[in-house]
Amino acid sequence: MRLIARYAKEAENNFEIVTVWDEEIHREQVSKRDPRIKTLTKTHPAAIWFERKMHDDYGIIIEDAFDNRPLVHQERFPGDIYPMRKDFRERTLEPDDYKPYKYEAIGGDGVFEVAVGPIHAGIIEPGHFQFSQAGEDMLHQEVRHFYKYRAIEKMLEGKTLFEAKPVIERISGNESIAYQTAWRDIVLQATDRELPLDNRKYHALLLELERTVHHLTDLGFIPNDAGFGAALAFGSKLSEEARRELKKITGHRFGFGAIDFESHSLDNEAMKAYLDTLNEAIAFFEAWIIDIPSLWDRFDTTGILKLKKAVKYDTVGIVARASGLALDQRNEPFYLEHGFALQTQKSGDVSARFKIRLEEMKNTLEMMQNFTVETCESMNVGTVTDGEYFSFAESSIGELFMSIEIKEGVIERFFVRDPSFVNWQALHLMMPGNIIADFPLINKSCDLSYAGNDL
Amino acid sequence: MIRFWNRRFKTGTLTENPEIDKELRIIRKEMKNLVKKKFAGSLAIRMVDSGSCNACEAECNALSNPYYDLERLGIYFVASPRHADVMLLSGVTTFNMTPHVLDAYRQIPEPKWVISLGACPVMEAPFEKTFAINAPAGEHLPIAHHIPGCPPEPIDIIRGFLAFLRKI
Repeated sequence: MRLIARYAKEAENNFEIVTVWDEEIHREQVSKRDPRIKTLTKTHPAAIWFERKMHDDYGIIIEDAFDNRPLVHQERFPGDIYPMRKDFRERTLEPDDYKPYKYEAIGGDGVFEVAVGPIHAGIIEPGHFQFSQAGEDMLHQEVRHFYKYRAIEKMLEGKTLFEAKPVIERISGNESIAYQTAWRDIVLQATDRELPLDNRKYHALLLELERTVHHLTDLGFIPNDAGFGAALAFGSKLSEEARRELKKITGHRFGFGAIDFESHSLDNEAMKAYLDTLNEAIAFFEAWIIDIPSLWDRFDTTGILKLKKAVKYDTVGIVARASGLALDQRNEPFYLEHGFALQTQKSGDVSARFKIRLEEMKNTLEMMQNFTVETCESMNVGTVTDGEYFSFAESSIGELFMSIEIKEGVIERFFVRDPSFVNWQALHLMMPGNIIADFPLINKSCDLSYAGNDL
Repeated sequence: MIRFWNRRFKTGTLTENPEIDKELRIIRKEMKNLVKKKFAGSLAIRMVDSGSCNACEAECNALSNPYYDLERLGIYFVASPRHADVMLLSGVTTFNMTPHVLDAYRQIPEPKWVISLGACPVMEAPFEKTFAINAPAGEHLPIAHHIPGCPPEPIDIIRGFLAFLRKI
């Protein structure tokens, strides 16, 4: 079974540990007085961040975990504070004494460590990477995040679904429409409504346009990190045009506020003309980029994630599909009827992650042709029924999972698992056998979110 | 590669916003004496994200695309705070990032300025104050100029830089 998420909720007398698998949802009750659970990491290593987070959030002890270090709570975070507990209501925290974090490191003669971050040498989000090096060769890498931790889960408690929307769409700016789509599905479930086909197509068009912006950005940035700057100029031109297209339709360059239940109309001819231009540009880009041997020399066999490991670490999205794992939330009747074709590669290296994006880009263009609608009508969503709701969306990074529990009309527990949260944990597997100078290239080929991961 | 260059010559220059160029010509004259001494003809910016949604960063990256080509205005994003004149700060100044932001600020040589970018640092984004958020950034750093927007579009950021240069 594939592990999708694992998180805790607070009930009156106990904590409920919810473990979401692809085939079932498992629930376990633990007492509040002495909350303890057993780890899942022996079979699912990527459970460790979920479990460490659970400890930081609720003070739940993971009895036999191989790693008990804090995850979200960093060096100056006050001890014995479990902010997701309902009785925690502080609005400010006083920084505590500095408690050093012990990084994973490989010892031995001549082995040294390189610390990178949290502030990196470019326009990029903050996060920390700790390398164990033998000369140029990377022996091990640890990813350490949560510098951007804003406590979104806590922030949204007590709000209605509609009050929470402006925050949800800003959790990860690059995946805004995917987050909004997941939110939309929860609203539909909670109000027991069906979305008319035209609205669904309109929303799907926006989600594919968001994917277009990011795939184009990555198709430029990945070669740039291998020293081929011309591709960045080309890719960033195309992604700028896609962003402007998104603004033309939604009034916002990132589509904030775009997914709703209002009526919309589309200028179909302009859209078709744009798609044709982009189609031609992609065909040119492909013919050009395939023909640069020195670039593929850097891409091929760099940063390999083997299928077996991709499965073991429960990876999702681009990273999983590049290693041969056929996993995509769009692999369902609605998308299939509109031209979706699941893309996979086998080699699991930078090449594969680059090619997947190129293939998906072409497929996305085809789907967007089929998603264009003249208009979609507004709909009345009605009242929200209390309950626990789950939804999925496929962002440009991968599978997004959202769960919202509503009690007395407001959010009792908000949980979201960004695709990056699992994929970050598999990043270190790609490093051994590569030199540190290839790290930026490997990292970019995964293009994971920090904001969505940290919440 | 030959196909690429053929296309490149056919496409020509994409860089736009002639109105900004005109504005800049005027500003250049204004600041000639003042800024030449302080910035040696170019302004170096260190961008620091203190807990944004990454949209502000995406728009700053867009400033380098062929449509905006920011560097033609003599404004550069640099890799180290030690090379910078200005810190461009985005995000809600999270509890976890605060010490690192202050550290980066200390590393910038004098004279130095902080420009806040987007709705987050001034707490105008929909995010509410939680224990994990230390914004507004003005409580921790001297903010010389603010560029509003959620996120500010590339053209707003360019205009914001120009307004900052006029101000100091």
